[in-house]
Amino acid sequence: MSQTQAVQETAATKEWEPRIVAFLCNWCSYAGADLAGVSRIQYPHNVRIIRVPCSGRINPLFLLRALQNGADGVLVSGCHPGDCHYISGNLVARRKFALCKELLQYAGIEPERVQFTWVSASEGGRFASVIEKVVDEVRQLGPNDKLVKKL
Amino acid sequence: MTASQEIETRLRETAEQLLRDKKVDVFLGYEKASLPFRTTPLFVTSPEQVDRLAWNPFCTINLAVYLPRLFADSRRGGGRAEPPPPPTVGIVLKGCDLRAATVLIQEHQVPREKLVIVGVACPGMVDRRKAELALGEHDALGAGEDGEGNVHAVIEDGVEVKLSREDVVAEACLQCRTPTPSMHDVLLGSPVEATDGDGDAGRKQTADFEAKAPAVRWAQLREALADCIRCSACRQACPMCYCTECVMDQTRPRWLGAGTDGSDVMIYHLTRAFHLAGRCTECGACARACPMGIDTRLLVRKMNQEVEDLYGYRPGDATDTTSPLSDFSMDDPQDFLTEP
Amino acid sequence: MTEKTIAHTDLDRFLDCLKEAGTVYVPAKDEAGEVRLAEASNVESVALAYRNFRMSPKAFFLPQNQTLLRFNEGRVEEPAPPDQGTSFLFGVRPCDARALLALDEVFLSGDDEDPYYKRLRENTVVIALACERPVASCFCTSVGGGPGDGAGSDVLAVALEADLLLKAQTPRGEQLLSSVEDLLADAAPEAIQQAEELIRSAEDQISPVRVDNSAELLREQYDSPIWEEAGLTCLGCGTCSYLCPTCHCFDITDEMRGKTGRRVRTWDCCAYPLFTLHASGHNPRPSAKERWRQRIMHKFRYAVENFERLFCVGCGRCIRNCPVNMDLRRVLKRVGV
Repeated sequence: MSQTQAVQETAATKEWEPRIVAFLCNWCSYAGADLAGVSRIQYPHNVRIIRVPCSGRINPLFLLRALQNGADGVLVSGCHPGDCHYISGNLVARRKFALCKELLQYAGIEPERVQFTWVSASEGGRFASVIEKVVDEVRQLGPNDKLVKKL
Repeated sequence: MTASQEIETRLRETAEQLLRDKKVDVFLGYEKASLPFRTTPLFVTSPEQVDRLAWNPFCTINLAVYLPRLFADSRRGGGRAEPPPPPTVGIVLKGCDLRAATVLIQEHQVPREKLVIVGVACPGMVDRRKAELALGEHDALGAGEDGEGNVHAVIEDGVEVKLSREDVVAEACLQCRTPTPSMHDVLLGSPVEATDGDGDAGRKQTADFEAKAPAVRWAQLREALADCIRCSACRQACPMCYCTECVMDQTRPRWLGAGTDGSDVMIYHLTRAFHLAGRCTECGACARACPMGIDTRLLVRKMNQEVEDLYGYRPGDATDTTSPLSDFSMDDPQDFLTEP
Repeated sequence: MTEKTIAHTDLDRFLDCLKEAGTVYVPAKDEAGEVRLAEASNVESVALAYRNFRMSPKAFFLPQNQTLLRFNEGRVEEPAPPDQGTSFLFGVRPCDARALLALDEVFLSGDDEDPYYKRLRENTVVIALACERPVASCFCTSVGGGPGDGAGSDVLAVALEADLLLKAQTPRGEQLLSSVEDLLADAAPEAIQQAEELIRSAEDQISPVRVDNSAELLREQYDSPIWEEAGLTCLGCGTCSYLCPTCHCFDITDEMRGKTGRRVRTWDCCAYPLFTLHASGHNPRPSAKERWRQRIMHKFRYAVENFERLFCVGCGRCIRNCPVNMDLRRVLKRVGV
């Protein structure tokens, strides 16, 4: 089913479905996601993809803001180390991500809500598996109530 | 003469010499405050003023916080076509303060050659709130130090109350790993042994917190930050927070609200901890400045430990190292990744 | 002006009567042993022995975080005021009560009244408690107030040995006292005298600060070099403004999510570097020197010129809590006030 149909159905049945925001780097992970689509590999509809030039573009505030706006989970995916289109963007990012993950976990936010991975442009199947895993883990946790801001 | 008084005398002599010989344009030190258990920063510009300089157990302020602004104009030009030349600044720095200045030098905010560092080996400074609490119902009218480093507070009717140093020393000082400034142009005071050289006390604190269930940690963190009024005193008192426009104040885009909404409070403190990872030298200036008495070092302590464990880096060790988040290695650990 | 007494042992019954009329806030020790204003229904025992609260009660009238409007898909709505009824603040110190008069000048005088402030002000009854033991940083007597000053409050209470003396200050205060008259006795002359002695003794403990002609002298000293020296050490941390009972500067921001959002008023501080930053990039108060000068000028000169009132009540919070011991008493002295 399409994303829109899924959202409508959720609203209709009022059964909660996790909403995952995925930041994908343009050159590898986004292409990998695209390959999954082109190859007609089915993966859960719960993910909203945001394309960034490089995983090094990710500011931890993006992740916090996504959670604040009501995302149940956040995924960040980039090129495998050594394959970055900008040579070292993902290497710099790797340190940021490691610390960010530790910080959020330390603060008591469930580690499954913010996840990081490397997916290359040729790994359509891997992308689908990652989404399956993340959605499944977040579904088990239930809706996010931490950092959510009610306006 | 107590050890502090000896240091004070030598400090004044040193400052006077530097100002008289025009080796510095301004000398940053401490002066007696208008209330007990405190000092106030002093910017000395002429040799005649050096007698105002003080050294005592209440010299808690991290003077490195003033360095970026002293060099800002010469770096950015202050709106003028020809930027003014940078001043030469003499400054009194304790162990933790010196580490903060080291990070500022490393991050090119302050030129080393324009600093004359008067380092002082620090036995730990008094937390004024602990001292005031120790006095209970009584008000201190004045406070001084005895030969053993204990604090003597004068309360009403001229009665003297002795407060032992270890009871009123600041939390940050109980976890001090480098009391003696390693980089200096002049060093005053005999070297002091670190109360927590290996950082075990700090590690135990984070380990104890981490041992709790995630939901408990979240609840306790919310509780600890419940009093936060978003004044940003922690940020303003921090030598490492020198951005002319902080991301928290940015309006395009606006990252978080300005109020005390629980979510905004959490994001403010989480972001600050992240921005200080591998940069904070744990001087405690933030906790001291917080008007609500919040332990603002709670999260950043963990970040520093992670940086040390993952990348073998401690902020403030040297000026010629690369900041950990500006650096990388092909072998950096990546156990945090998700594998499907 | 009605003067009554109530036995300490009847205080709980008095508070119970108030609870029937609204929400009551009383001084109580928190887990850390600090006394602050807490909702009476959560409090086991009222603490009467304290100096002053860390925070001023201005948050009851000007909250740190206040939603002014909500909007959704182009429709704007003012949120219905929470049906909070009346609030009773018991135990506010005279300096903090007096500060409300300064806030009234800002938010209620002039052509337009601030409806948000007005609503809270009209629905909050202030019962001040006179001070017995001022702190070293107190100087209320020098700025027109005093440990037994009732200005700004509806009822002034003075804690005596066996009773509380209650003095009505406003018609609302009179009404309050008459609503509980069964619990009260007419104040005996001895009680009134005891109260006066207590207050006088408290006044004697306060070191005076000279503020006469502050407006004139500050006008003359605007360009004095002392501002450079005095202001250099300010960190711009905001502690002074946020704790100050008269400081009232605020920021208004819109918090959006898609087409929905709210307009929020939050506290702001003139000591912040970005406070006067223009969209052009120009900042008329570019350094700590201008901002510190502004702080002193606003409280001791502009307020006098505009409202004939000092915007400082001498509570001393800014002096006690400033991490670098900026002391406005010291600056006033140096300026020659």
